[in-house]
Amino acid sequence: MKSALTWDVLAKCSTTKARAAVLTLPHGPVNAPVFMPVGTQGTLKGITPEQIEGLGCQIMLNNTYHLGLRPGQELLDQCGGAHVFQGWNRNLLTDSGGFQMVSLLKLAEITEDGVQFESPHDGSLMLLTPEHSMSLQNSIGADIMMQLDDVVSSLTTGPRVEEAMWRSIRWLDRCIKAHKKPETQNLFAIIQGGLDPNLRKVCIDEMVKRDTPGYAIGGLSGGEEKDKFWRVVSQCTDLMPRNKPIYCMGVGYAEDLVVCVALGVDMFDCVFPTRTARFGNALTSKGTLSLRQAKFKDDFRPIEEGCDCIACKSYTRAYLYTVVTKETVGCHLISIHNTAYQLRLMRQIRESVIEDRFPQFIHKFFKDLFVEKSAYPEWAVNALKSVNVDLMGGEEASK
Amino acid sequence: MSPLTFSIIRQSTQLSAARRGTVVMTSSVSSSSSPLADNDATKKDKRVIETPGCFMYSVKGSVPHLTPDTLRLQGFGGVNVSIEQLLQDHQPTGLDKWPFTLSKFLNLQDLILLCDIREASSFTKVPFNSDRFVSMISNKGVRQLTLEDYLKVVRAYHPDIVGAFTDSISDTKEPGQKRVRKSVERSLKWLDQVLLERQGFDGLAQDREAEEKKKLKSRNKENQTPIVSETVASVSVSPVKRTTLPWTDVGLFAHVQGAQFEQERVRSAQETAKRTGVDGYIVDTNALPGSRDDILKMLKASMDHLPKDKPRLVYGMQAPEDVLRSIALGADLFDTTYPFLLTEDGKASLFSFGSVTAPSNTASIDSATASLQASSISSSANNRWINLWDDEHADKFVPIMEGCECYACKGGRHTRAYINHLLKAHEMLATVLLMSHNMHQYSKFFANIRQSIASGTFDQLSQQFCDQFGTEPERTGEIHEAQRIVEASLSKRNRLDSSGDASPVASDPAELEALKEARKAEKAQKAQEKKQRQMVNKKEKRSQKLKERELLEEQKMNDSKA
Repeated sequence: MKSALTWDVLAKCSTTKARAAVLTLPHGPVNAPVFMPVGTQGTLKGITPEQIEGLGCQIMLNNTYHLGLRPGQELLDQCGGAHVFQGWNRNLLTDSGGFQMVSLLKLAEITEDGVQFESPHDGSLMLLTPEHSMSLQNSIGADIMMQLDDVVSSLTTGPRVEEAMWRSIRWLDRCIKAHKKPETQNLFAIIQGGLDPNLRKVCIDEMVKRDTPGYAIGGLSGGEEKDKFWRVVSQCTDLMPRNKPIYCMGVGYAEDLVVCVALGVDMFDCVFPTRTARFGNALTSKGTLSLRQAKFKDDFRPIEEGCDCIACKSYTRAYLYTVVTKETVGCHLISIHNTAYQLRLMRQIRESVIEDRFPQFIHKFFKDLFVEKSAYPEWAVNALKSVNVDLMGGEEASK
Repeated sequence: MSPLTFSIIRQSTQLSAARRGTVVMTSSVSSSSSPLADNDATKKDKRVIETPGCFMYSVKGSVPHLTPDTLRLQGFGGVNVSIEQLLQDHQPTGLDKWPFTLSKFLNLQDLILLCDIREASSFTKVPFNSDRFVSMISNKGVRQLTLEDYLKVVRAYHPDIVGAFTDSISDTKEPGQKRVRKSVERSLKWLDQVLLERQGFDGLAQDREAEEKKKLKSRNKENQTPIVSETVASVSVSPVKRTTLPWTDVGLFAHVQGAQFEQERVRSAQETAKRTGVDGYIVDTNALPGSRDDILKMLKASMDHLPKDKPRLVYGMQAPEDVLRSIALGADLFDTTYPFLLTEDGKASLFSFGSVTAPSNTASIDSATASLQASSISSSANNRWINLWDDEHADKFVPIMEGCECYACKGGRHTRAYINHLLKAHEMLATVLLMSHNMHQYSKFFANIRQSIASGTFDQLSQQFCDQFGTEPERTGEIHEAQRIVEASLSKRNRLDSSGDASPVASDPAELEALKEARKAEKAQKAQEKKQRQMVNKKEKRSQKLKERELLEEQKMNDSKA
């Protein structure tokens, strides 16, 4: 199908499956691997668009489900889409609205037609079909839009997983057909199939035939065991075409990002950095600081030495302790810092891939974050071993 | 030498006492008496507030909703912070291990930082003050701040300007005359003591002597000679005027008291005016009872008796017409509570002062006014602000104010429709944008006033402003219908979620976990609040007892006099 993006791989890691690339979208270039902050309702938690740009963010997420309910399709059409609506001139990605269905299952009924659910605002019945999702996402105007998929929890087993996989393929066909603006908006397919390698393979084979501009690995990050999670990711990146961006949905913890890049993933999103900020938790390369704790009362260091975000440049931990979870400014500052942290991490990963020293970066990253090897998560050690990085054996062994 | 200079550029020659001036803060690090100021090298040498002008209202040094970068776009030269807000678990923040000044801690080195005692934005009732302490509210209930505590704080914080220790009556809005007289006297006595300390003299000596005498007297009665001799020895060792470290590079603003009694206001102003070393005056109208006219009359009583060559800071005169009337009485400095309160209500200001503004701006106000008049059902039926909670803005893809240069309006980047959406979506960017706009317009309002005083058109334009924009509608504190609906649906969602039902906000396990975390935090907070309440009650009981004892003592003294 038509594509409104270009995908230029700049460098490949000689040890792992990691790659550095430039993804050029209608609203400008995106350096991959990339973390995309989530601005659910057309705003990134109190951070102004100018501040987000200042952090070097090139692409942000909006949720179709939320924007469809408010401000609604009519207003989006009237003002010319979500970019204009929120004053954001860089790239946007929207989900299909389907992900919210996992949680709405008690209120929702999934049929071949689509997903029927009760509006949380007025209780009226709404039907989200692949056609409706496309229509909404066309109104939003995101640079990347996601197909409506039949999402089942990653903990589900049995025939329902296969049904969801096949239905997602059928819905992809309907989405492709209903997509009105393939010249300016890119539709990504979402690989389903739960934790079953056979189903994943079938799904990839079928969806690759549809030749969408990019692919996402869906149906994960739903509470499944991490050791199963990485195997699915790794299997998918092995089977997916290498000339297109690969997006792993809902991944955002620092160690997950590092591992998934090593497994060959290019794009990520997660609400975690901004959500945890609202509870006063600041992310650093040495772990999370819970700034509500009294031990920071007399700590006159910045959140993270060397961070150039406005929170670290302006304030000490002691000051932030006095405002987090009490003043909105405290929340804005930590959100800005956490977003800066995530974006910097991705930049560092990317640079190390370009300079072909990604394995060394991984070693240092884990050492900084977990200090002791005994504290390294086992799944991460296993996953990295599968791509020739031996965390336990030391740097030399990886080469 | 005071670090602060006030110069009047132009005094209104017409009916009003309005004046146009500048407050300049000069920090000369080399000659500074404080070792703290040395590590504050990033402080700008010369910082200015143009008057009439404002200190930005802050909570713990953060102007509500504005991060440091956005804050600098607002065009104000000063920030107001209070010791009360900086109390943490009863102790002023960082007092013991303070490695730098308050300005640096709050990242406000480029602005003039005024540190006052109590919260400036409103009247918050607390239990009474006494000869020894001033009551204020910390996160753990009522805290009593003594003069000694205050001096410690001033030395540690080393702000640019500090409000003198004062007895502002805050247990009632209508105190009796006797209490008011006491407040005036106490404040003068404390001011004298603060002035002594600022010069490096022992301002507390007289208090200690009085205390010792009292002790001696009571102990003599009980015949406890050994302890007496010990105390006497320690008293005789400490000299009456021990030289402490002076802090003359901190500007000092004196509070003028007098509550609702004109005679006391005049006395307080006259007596305070006699003290040398005071750099400016603070008149707090927040606690005054009566109508706006009554309050302005009380303000005038103070203003008329204050030295003309020093700046006057007025609290509680926030709405535009109150500001104008206060300026006409000779007020120079205000705070930005007004734009903050507008923002909290979801309102965006549209008023502007004088025709000195660019013609494009005036035209836009006219059109905004016209559009408001067209929609008669608007809940904000006035032309000084619009309420962005109103549904009518849902499809208005225009900036709040055409031609406005604030962060929100500039280049048409953010529209009324977007802010309406943000409010309804319960998103924090709403207040960021509203605050940016309201602060910017308030700053512009003052800039235009200054220009009008300089050009001699202030009185005329003030009248014009009042004709055009009427008076501020009473702030009822009632929340907008749309806001009520949003909040109700949010709490319903939370209820649904806590009863085990899936909720649309909790769409993934991480989110659920976060919700759980939030609820846990909420629970802990509630427990904390309960504890606080209990502590406050205890404290109140204790203070009640103290008060009774005080009264008894007073009575005794009166009896003995009689």
